Amino acid sequence: MTRDQWTDRLSEYLDGDLGIAERAALEAHVASCPACEAILAELRRVVARAQAIDDQPPTTDLWPAIAQQIGVSSGGEPHGVVSLAARRARRRLSFTVPQLAAAAAVLLLLGSGGAYLTLQRGTSPVPPLPAPIAGARTGRGPTTTLVGWEKTRAKYDVAVAELESALEQGRKSGRLDSATVRVLDQSLVTIDSAIVQARRALAADPGSVYLNQHLADTMRRKLELLRRASAFAPART
Amino acid sequence: MNVAAVVALVVTQQTDTTVPVRAGMRLDVENFGGEIVVRAWNQNSVRVQATHSSRDRIDVSAERTTVNVRAESRRGLAQMVEYQITAPTWMPLNLHGVSTDIEVDGTQAAITAETVQGELKVRGGSGQLSLKSVQGAVKLQNAKGHIDVYSVNEGLTLENVNGDISAETVSGDVTLQGIESANVEVNTVSGDVHYDGTIKDGGHYRFATHNGDVTLAVPERANVTVSVATFNGDFDSCFPVSVTTTTKHRFSFTIGSGSARLELETFNGDIKLCRPGQLHDKHHDDQEDN
Repeated sequence: MTRDQWTDRLSEYLDGDLGIAERAALEAHVASCPACEAILAELRRVVARAQAIDDQPPTTDLWPAIAQQIGVSSGGEPHGVVSLAARRARRRLSFTVPQLAAAAAVLLLLGSGGAYLTLQRGTSPVPPLPAPIAGARTGRGPTTTLVGWEKTRAKYDVAVAELESALEQGRKSGRLDSATVRVLDQSLVTIDSAIVQARRALAADPGSVYLNQHLADTMRRKLELLRRASAFAPART
Repeated sequence: MNVAAVVALVVTQQTDTTVPVRAGMRLDVENFGGEIVVRAWNQNSVRVQATHSSRDRIDVSAERTTVNVRAESRRGLAQMVEYQITAPTWMPLNLHGVSTDIEVDGTQAAITAETVQGELKVRGGSGQLSLKSVQGAVKLQNAKGHIDVYSVNEGLTLENVNGDISAETVSGDVTLQGIESANVEVNTVSGDVHYDGTIKDGGHYRFATHNGDVTLAVPERANVTVSVATFNGDFDSCFPVSVTTTTKHRFSFTIGSGSARLELETFNGDIKLCRPGQLHDKHHDDQEDN
């Protein structure tokens, strides 16, 4: 990926943060620079996908427990909590180009947050929330930093481990029959194999937005399968 | 008649119950093993015919908003029941099974159908349609609405379907034919993806697989910006395209005004675009070869 003086201004351009003169200059540059044109297209795709991610509330209302933990009243409208619709409406994402690939992956993985929360039902302790996208901002300011891909992946690993444990309990208790267990195991092997292949490809080409997205997508799919499998476990009770 | 047949005759029982219903009610059926077949009719009543063990009892209860159908056994959960149910076309269906095949025909209402081991076949349906199976193929035909189909280990087939579509499986092909939609998302980890349907202006279409080919019919007058990504695979098109942007594993091109967005991705596989007639012929030939 080649870079020039305009490369790091592309996200500001998308956010409408450039002045008229800068905007015109950038557009003229992009028209004659295939690399910047391609990066701009990737940025647009990432932002579009980020905006398309549903802010679905978890099936269990977690706010009372969260409120208790942070020592505020859970009655009425939680102080400082904005509506999902309002948050979505103002969601803007700014990335510098070096962050682009990781941003795409993190955004996709964050889509699994709902699945992770859904598993923690009832009165069980409130799990740590997925890392917020520090890159989301609501106005002008310094280029924001993105929560690290590794940090998000660590949370993912914890979620996967917990779900695998729940699945294992379903196996041991006999709540999942052997044929279903075989299918689930086979499917997990299929996904793990895809994850390994994607990781290898990414190791060879860490800047590829597609490979970052694909890896995150496949990891999210594993999480989703585990979540569904854990839900199947009580089916025979 | 052998001994097994005699024993079967002794232990098998038929139940046939009809309950009146009114608009606004829904049908809720739970079954452990066997099948649930629901057919629609134009009467405001639900008829439940069940074949089951004489040790089991079929409980059909009409409450304020729901007709519940359950099987109970003196030993707990009934193991095997074959349901043949007839319900009004307007009645939403909520069908759950474990080792159960589920089939629905002719309804014009919302459907939720989930099974762990078993096939799902639905003809008809309108509104929210959610069909999920772990070990079983899912087939949906002649439906419209907001459609969500999922399987873990088998393929998904949608034919003559109108509305927003989300289709996902881990191991299996996903085939969509005769689709009328502005919003389609298809994912499989190991399987081919085939789409033949509308590309509407302003629509969003995403087809992704890890191990498999993606084949797509693009109508002649489509206005779409296409993004193609593959790691180990080739791209082929039955019609000329002019690539506008390229990165290492992805490139884009525009057809017409480009107002719709189409994303095609496969890690290990080929991507092919054709015109509707060409793709149908090729897909048909491929199926016959297999």
